[in-house]
Amino acid sequence: MCGERVDVIRKTAAVWAGKATGTLSRVTRRGGGTTLPGDVARAIDPQILTRLAQDLTYGSIVITGTNGKTTTARLLSWLLEGAGHRVVSNRAGANLIFGATAAALKRAGPDGRLRADWGVFEIDEASLPSAVQEIKPRVTLVLNLFRDQLDRYGELESIAKKIERALADQRETSRTILNADDPRVAEIGLSLPRPPLWFGLDDTSIASRTLPHAADARTCPRCGSSLIFDAVYVGHDGVYRCPNQDFARPDPDIKATDITLNGFDSLAMSVGGARIEMPLGGLYNCYNVLAAFSAARSIDLSADYIADRLRTFKAAFGRQERVEFRGRHLVLVLSKNPAGFNETVRTAVDLAHGTKFVIGLNDRKADGTDVSWIWDVDFEQLTGKATVVIPAGVRAHDLAVRLKYAGVDAEPPQTDSGAALDELIKCTGEGDTVYVLCTYTAMLDLRAELVRRGWAQPYWET
Amino acid sequence: MGAAILGNVSGKFTVGWLYPDLMNIYGDRGNILTLLKRAEWRGLDAKLIELGRGAESEMLDVDVFFFGGGQDREQALIYDDLRQYKQDSLQRAVGNGAQVLAVCGGYQLLGHYYQTADGERYDGIGLIDVRTEAGKKRFIGDVVVETEIEGLSPRTLVGFENHSGRTFLGPGATPLGKVIQGQGNNGSDRLEGCVQGNIIGTYLHGSLLPKNPQLADHLIGRALSRRDGGGLSPLDDSAELAAHDWILQRAQRR
Repeated sequence: MCGERVDVIRKTAAVWAGKATGTLSRVTRRGGGTTLPGDVARAIDPQILTRLAQDLTYGSIVITGTNGKTTTARLLSWLLEGAGHRVVSNRAGANLIFGATAAALKRAGPDGRLRADWGVFEIDEASLPSAVQEIKPRVTLVLNLFRDQLDRYGELESIAKKIERALADQRETSRTILNADDPRVAEIGLSLPRPPLWFGLDDTSIASRTLPHAADARTCPRCGSSLIFDAVYVGHDGVYRCPNQDFARPDPDIKATDITLNGFDSLAMSVGGARIEMPLGGLYNCYNVLAAFSAARSIDLSADYIADRLRTFKAAFGRQERVEFRGRHLVLVLSKNPAGFNETVRTAVDLAHGTKFVIGLNDRKADGTDVSWIWDVDFEQLTGKATVVIPAGVRAHDLAVRLKYAGVDAEPPQTDSGAALDELIKCTGEGDTVYVLCTYTAMLDLRAELVRRGWAQPYWET
Repeated sequence: MGAAILGNVSGKFTVGWLYPDLMNIYGDRGNILTLLKRAEWRGLDAKLIELGRGAESEMLDVDVFFFGGGQDREQALIYDDLRQYKQDSLQRAVGNGAQVLAVCGGYQLLGHYYQTADGERYDGIGLIDVRTEAGKKRFIGDVVVETEIEGLSPRTLVGFENHSGRTFLGPGATPLGKVIQGQGNNGSDRLEGCVQGNIIGTYLHGSLLPKNPQLADHLIGRALSRRDGGGLSPLDDSAELAAHDWILQRAQRR
């Protein structure tokens, strides 16, 4: 009894201290206050996230994967909120355990209790094991496992192994939802004690037959043979099988068919008896929508409700955000790694018929300090199609070299975001649409410059 | 650009990429593209041969081999294949003057052995006199090296390292260079990479050759020199060297 009271007091103290930190960092304009409050509260009560998650009326949905976490989390929040639920979620891409803690703190009341029905948390792949342990989610969603920031996380394989162990150890009431089209994710699912719910695309008319250079995880986990791909959708996600029949793409429980793509503007697909049509573009987003659909169905939201609600969805920060800048229509698309970049370039060039680009590369911690991955991006897709390409960001010079060897006639590299915007004005005219594809902090920098010049709102207010 | 190579007879230039699907973790395509493009820009007929598992033909046609790094899982998959199908041909090709650039895992596998933290030894193919032992801490970050290869200009090489192996050179190998920034082979002797005959081994990726065009030309030039004595015509390297200098400048600020 006494111990219980101490716990409550500690939890309340942690909540208050965390909340005060958040307010302070917003007042002093030191950023969105998205992670620091989590650090402070966790120092006072290391179990604070578990305690707060227990306050949720229904429980949590945890989303991980290399690409698409933020969009999928946003989709799920949108669906839950539309159904009248109070949702707590770590929205600003703050996807380490501290970010999730900070988000929960922000919604906790003065009594230290979290006042929400659902938690929707996007969690970085490397942090998934601790997140699953602390949050004890009702649903865990794994979107994909692509090659990402090798400098920070170590290698794909060791991350996949850790995720596998974390999911295997979950309690029986929790549901795992996995992308059947991703061979590395499928390998995780096939070794789980309880079968997961599988989702996958089922429309070969929008597939290609060859893997891009960025692809990895292409061997059979049992015999080591190179996998045969009958269809490739995004990165190494597609329909695959081992030549010795040792391993194959699991048959998806939830399938997307009849997919129609319209640039960055919209997509349509049939899933679970409903027709989804919504203002989000790109094949990679079909996966995010399908994943969100699968999770929403698993907690008993109806297919018709989901389809209806998604019609009015708005994308998250820097993900297909549109900004007007001195008569130019900028389309900001976060592009963080080879698989993501290949898709955003493909969508911009093939589907949106874009010809003018700013490509931004930074090498800060959040971007990955190793930029060698740009050589795995097929910038060759721009060759002969793009008329203006401005390399920008801290590592603009590296991009310039990459573009040169791709045969793209790029503008001079601009390491300063102000100079990059000036170059954009110089090289484009009023009425032009310019696709701005950037890594995380390169996008923050460019966006901050747009805010300074009065063309965009600070991100934590959008 | 486009000026023909002086005195090249065959006009062909062939790059052999060892295990492009499995040993391709750190943007290694940059090294391949740089070799191919820089040969093309000089009017050579540049060709890439992908040497996956089981492949052994055409290895004697190769001018420059590239052998990159892989994850442990992939490295284990090529381990036997390297011995069975590649070792002899590679040795003969190198004996005939073919050049080899091996990075990270490829570098380790060309040496005598890799010893894990538990003391277990995985034999390499011993083409270079180096040995590698597992270390505790991963070395991750920018590297600047002052190279000891004759005639390279600039004398610096820039790249990015990410490895936990500690590699030590035997008397048969000379270092690729001295470490100015970063850790290099083992973090203790301030040396990076190795040069032994026609083989260069290194931990630098990033990719290595795009920002170090002088090293790319060194490999192309040496491979071609066995067929004729001509040198390579100069190219406009301002973009490559601007990226090179940017890393140097940042190293100096730190």
